[in-house]
Amino acid sequence: MAWDLSRRVFLKGFGFAAVGVGFSPSSLMVRAAEGAEAGSRVFVHVFLRGGADGLGLVPPVGDPDYAPLRGGIALGRNEVVDLDGFFALHGGLAPLKPLFSDGKLAVVHAVGNYDLSRSHFDAQDFMETGTPANKTTATGWLDRSIAAIPGREVTQAVSFSAQLTRSFLGGEPVLVAQTLATFDLRARNWRPEAGTLVRAMYDADQSDVGRIGQETFAAMDVLMRTPQITAAPLNGAVYPNASVGTSLRQAAQVIRAGLGTRCIFVNVGGAFDTHSTQLLNNQLEFSRLGDALAAFAQDLGPLLDDVVVLVSTEFGRAAFVNGSAGTDHGSAHAALVMGGRIRGGRVYGRWPGLSKSQLYQERDLAVTTDFRDLFAEMARAQLGVDPGALFPGYTPGPGLGIVA
Amino acid sequence: MSLSALMPTTSVEIGPRTALHALNRLGFGPSPGDIHQVLSKGLQRYIEEQLEPTPDPEVQQRLQGLRTLGYPIAQVLTLYRTDPGLIGPVVDEFNTAKVIRAVHSRNQLEEVLADFWFNHFNVNLNENFVRYSIMAYERDAIRPHVLGRFRDLLGAVAAHPAMLYYLDNYLSTASRVVNGKLVQGLNENYGRELLELHTVSVDAGYTQEHVFDAARCFTGWGIDNTGTTGGFLYRSGNHDTGAKSVFGLNLPAGGGRDDGEKLLDYLAAHPSTAHFISKKLARRFVADDPPGSLVDKMAGTYLGSGGDIRQVLRTMIGSTEFWAEAFGSGKPRTPSEFTFAALRAADVQVNSARGVSAALSAMGMPLFQCIPPTGYSDRGADWLNPSSQLARMNFALDLTSGGVAGVTVDARAMVRSASGNPEDPRSIASAVNAEIFGKGLSAATMGAIGRLAAGGPVSMAVRGLGLALASPDMQVR
Repeated sequence: MAWDLSRRVFLKGFGFAAVGVGFSPSSLMVRAAEGAEAGSRVFVHVFLRGGADGLGLVPPVGDPDYAPLRGGIALGRNEVVDLDGFFALHGGLAPLKPLFSDGKLAVVHAVGNYDLSRSHFDAQDFMETGTPANKTTATGWLDRSIAAIPGREVTQAVSFSAQLTRSFLGGEPVLVAQTLATFDLRARNWRPEAGTLVRAMYDADQSDVGRIGQETFAAMDVLMRTPQITAAPLNGAVYPNASVGTSLRQAAQVIRAGLGTRCIFVNVGGAFDTHSTQLLNNQLEFSRLGDALAAFAQDLGPLLDDVVVLVSTEFGRAAFVNGSAGTDHGSAHAALVMGGRIRGGRVYGRWPGLSKSQLYQERDLAVTTDFRDLFAEMARAQLGVDPGALFPGYTPGPGLGIVA
Repeated sequence: MSLSALMPTTSVEIGPRTALHALNRLGFGPSPGDIHQVLSKGLQRYIEEQLEPTPDPEVQQRLQGLRTLGYPIAQVLTLYRTDPGLIGPVVDEFNTAKVIRAVHSRNQLEEVLADFWFNHFNVNLNENFVRYSIMAYERDAIRPHVLGRFRDLLGAVAAHPAMLYYLDNYLSTASRVVNGKLVQGLNENYGRELLELHTVSVDAGYTQEHVFDAARCFTGWGIDNTGTTGGFLYRSGNHDTGAKSVFGLNLPAGGGRDDGEKLLDYLAAHPSTAHFISKKLARRFVADDPPGSLVDKMAGTYLGSGGDIRQVLRTMIGSTEFWAEAFGSGKPRTPSEFTFAALRAADVQVNSARGVSAALSAMGMPLFQCIPPTGYSDRGADWLNPSSQLARMNFALDLTSGGVAGVTVDARAMVRSASGNPEDPRSIASAVNAEIFGKGLSAATMGAIGRLAAGGPVSMAVRGLGLALASPDMQVR
């Protein structure tokens, strides 16, 4: 697809100059390898903000160094759900074990960013732009991905978050929402007139504010004529009463409504930054996560065949317990991949070990899978995007083979 | 001080547009009559009043009913021990005071800075002990220093129980060897964020070892008892007395509480801090991507004045770059900036924060509830998205029809006070244009208000003012 000149103007207007960022617009023209099959697939990225502990999410209970490093916060074999004798799922993720056994859930361990930043903000930024150690990248990796998909409907990409997520930053329209069911103007007793006149004000405005207003009304139009958006979950699925549950419930509604949605981002800001009381916080958050993912799979039923969910975070946590029954910022994390047709039922990635000499800087689980290889596999399989030019300065490898 | 002394490098054409600029950037925007008042008293005098605030008896009067505002932490904890249900009303009063001050205080710059510095040194209301100490934190650590010296502000924050809890420093102790085994005692959280977010910033060039040693400087800085008294306590037995090296500062072995104070001295005076703080102020007050020339000037003042925030602001307000923005396309308002501006424009009376607080949550910026220590983004563009935009439109439409809980509004009276005829849509449009938009309201918005149909169940003033506040013009400052 052609580079849209007006988008460059828009990007500049946002203060992110599209030119002079180290790669030319033409390199952004990701070739759309869109097949008929890939055209209806959906990629859901669940992002856990705060640095979720990979050694807690998928504890390596079979590694002899694990328990001594973690001391009082090490999980015992009786507290976890065994996967393969070496790795286990955190007890809160127990509802996902049947999916693992069924080949619909995979784990990627020791995934992360080789150009480590232990700053939450930088680590998230590097991951969401897909350009580690480069702070001048204007666009997010998901914006570049969906730019390669034909069409510019506002429902093509949906972000369940309070703000536009960095992954989507750029020129493609994104429906950012917390609640879709009430996505309408409130103007009691004068709704038609208010709708006409408010829309007229935004239609006439050429600035970024005007454009966002126009997208708001476009989204309102679509959602108003889509009753499925408020339909109850199917197959007896019960979502937990937490933001990850609310967002995945709505994600299922959006997918079922058939609005052409290809990419959904679920922002999860929870108590993942466990510098203290880690056991308690992980129990709370991982249970919510496990319950929400299990409900999502149940709710979608056979529709899960077209969907792949990736759960990841900005960095894992230090291998050893700190002085407060918690862990400080670390390096590699554990990602979860869920979908109806993935090659699940196993833990992917090379395990780097936990002995002192194997730890990164003698403190963190070392990275053995570049996060971009995982992201690239998602973009290729679910969005039909050629990942070769997706990450400026990096050519992803052939992938892990999780998604067909 | 003369106007030329305040603005030595630029000549500003003083009129409604520059008065509006001062009201929008140094405060939360104009109420009816404000633009005229600034022009009649003189722009320079207005700015001086903002930089040298005096007590505002009218706001004091409005806050009088909020009896828990002055409670020390121990008293809030006592309430909690008596009945946990008593904490909700304390939080409500704290939120209400925030909204009353933002909307009604004549010391608008002081309120913008209280917001700015709280956000810079963010703590989250929803984290256990922070819930009982956040009121004292804002009152005692932030507010006294918003126009003072950065080092004083930094020190008050570092030693405040709310921050000690939020960034876990109260748990951080020297590591010990017990039975030949190393027992980790350090917690890096505060040490890292002190460098990254509070002072020199992430690109300054410090290393993981510096983070480690910064955290070691503050071992022993804790809280006496998080359930009863909730005060600061230094426990020398928990302090790591070894030598430390943080980003160019070398502290010999044998130090105590002083290690932390010396590190704060060093960081507050560091050129990277001067630059980071100046850039962040300029981002809030001037532009999402502030000109480097302005940031350099402000950083120069910071270093030359020993980190005097008032002086840094004088440099900013006296700059060509600040006033040039009055003639630019504006900076998008964050949700709270928009909400406070709309409340001020509609000339409301704030009784409680109930409805405002709910609206800010819907816009993605709940009061005092930012989870990560980064605080909320000061970039207006970061807040532009359909969800937040719809919530803004709905807040405006709810507000003028009296649908925001805790806020009293009279749209007809507002239009009349702006010398408009509340039954005539064109008159409403020109009244808000003059009083709220400094005669810069777009033709499209003027036209939309002017096209409102006569009659119907909702009054012309409610609809006209609702459109003005829901307009794209209102989304920028």
